[in-house]
Amino acid sequence: MLGTFTVSRPTELGQALDLIGEESLAYWGGTELFLAMKMQLLMPGNLVDLKGIPQLREIRMSGDELVIGAGTTHDEIATDPGVRGAAGLLSSVTSRVGNSRVRAQGTIGGNLCFAEPRSDLATVLLALDAMVQLQSSSGERRLSITEFLLGPYWTAREPEELLVAVCVPIPAATGVYLKFQFTERPSVAVTAVVSDGGQPCRLAIGAVADVPALHTAESWDEFDAASIAAGIEPVPDLTGSVTYKRHLTEVLVKKAIAAVRAGERDG
Amino acid sequence: MADGGELGRTVRANVNGTEVSRYVANRSTLAQFLRDDLGLTGTKVSCELQVCGVCSVLVDGSPVSACTYLAVDIDGRKVETVEGLADGDTLHPLQQAFVEEFALQCGFCTPGFLMMSVALLRRNPDPSEEDVKEYLDGNICRCTGYRPIVEAVQLAATRMREDGHV
Repeated sequence: MLGTFTVSRPTELGQALDLIGEESLAYWGGTELFLAMKMQLLMPGNLVDLKGIPQLREIRMSGDELVIGAGTTHDEIATDPGVRGAAGLLSSVTSRVGNSRVRAQGTIGGNLCFAEPRSDLATVLLALDAMVQLQSSSGERRLSITEFLLGPYWTAREPEELLVAVCVPIPAATGVYLKFQFTERPSVAVTAVVSDGGQPCRLAIGAVADVPALHTAESWDEFDAASIAAGIEPVPDLTGSVTYKRHLTEVLVKKAIAAVRAGERDG
Repeated sequence: MADGGELGRTVRANVNGTEVSRYVANRSTLAQFLRDDLGLTGTKVSCELQVCGVCSVLVDGSPVSACTYLAVDIDGRKVETVEGLADGDTLHPLQQAFVEEFALQCGFCTPGFLMMSVALLRRNPDPSEEDVKEYLDGNICRCTGYRPIVEAVQLAATRMREDGHV
């Protein structure tokens, strides 16, 4: 049962920025927020419905970046020809998030801001070296995924800030995303990608610990799956113990690296 | 921008082809609104966590878990529930195929499976077995009769393609 609250429906970004704050939370699909409100983990006095702000759902190229508006749903990202062409891995991962209803209603911005530790998007966006763009009435800033995600359900976003867009450098890294999942969210997710800029081999491990972790190297030979798995701190839950999840991680790291070395590419 | 400070609002929506105008509390879910206010009890509620799929309905053609969707958010939109599928006494091809393939046992999950299948066939009129399984992955049948459900969806898809049914 939800508590009582008022709802604001801004039609322009500036209005939304004036409205959001500690007690006044932004929402789009509500796929994460309403669950937290039902459990009374969050009890905002006001909700700010962002669905009336078209600019938050734009997908566009800007210089050497693919810019995805925070209000774009997983399904819209997965089926967008521009995303598929420029960042096929992201397209593929979004097509496998949650279930069909979550993909139809849930957005990239909501997913990242909720900072669910088992987020598929956080893991793949970390591997793709994406940045998030935060805006408030007093200014804007850009953060890397590592800077943004501080812990489970905890981000660097200030209450009066809105995540307005996610920026993926283009040409985007390509590779594979493997996950082991029996429920709505993965127990372990591993993505291995090859990038044109910086260290060419990038491995991100998500869902298993408090926040996703990134490992980079010049060559895939430098990765040792056993020591990577030993270095993570899995969160035990109904889908597995610490020991079991470390084992899964090691197996998925080996598989992901083997796949990317063999030339496999998702999307 | 409108109606700050109010705990509800009047929504105007098209539900299964009928224009509806009701005052709804902000805290009402779409499932509560459909079942309690409109008496459309075909939409069931179970997990209330968007996991089981029994409350699946379509809003502007897009599948939603009615248990976790605000009723006030249907304002100006089109809602489709299982009650809107049949044309009088003529079952929708999906319903007919579910009957013929014995794609239900207790039937509690069936409205959700039907609405998700409607959404699937609109975007993919010729789904493979894998496509059906993937799209319906978020719907749970505790009688575990999944195989006939997949077969029913594919049978309906074939008939709908032949008939030009939309």
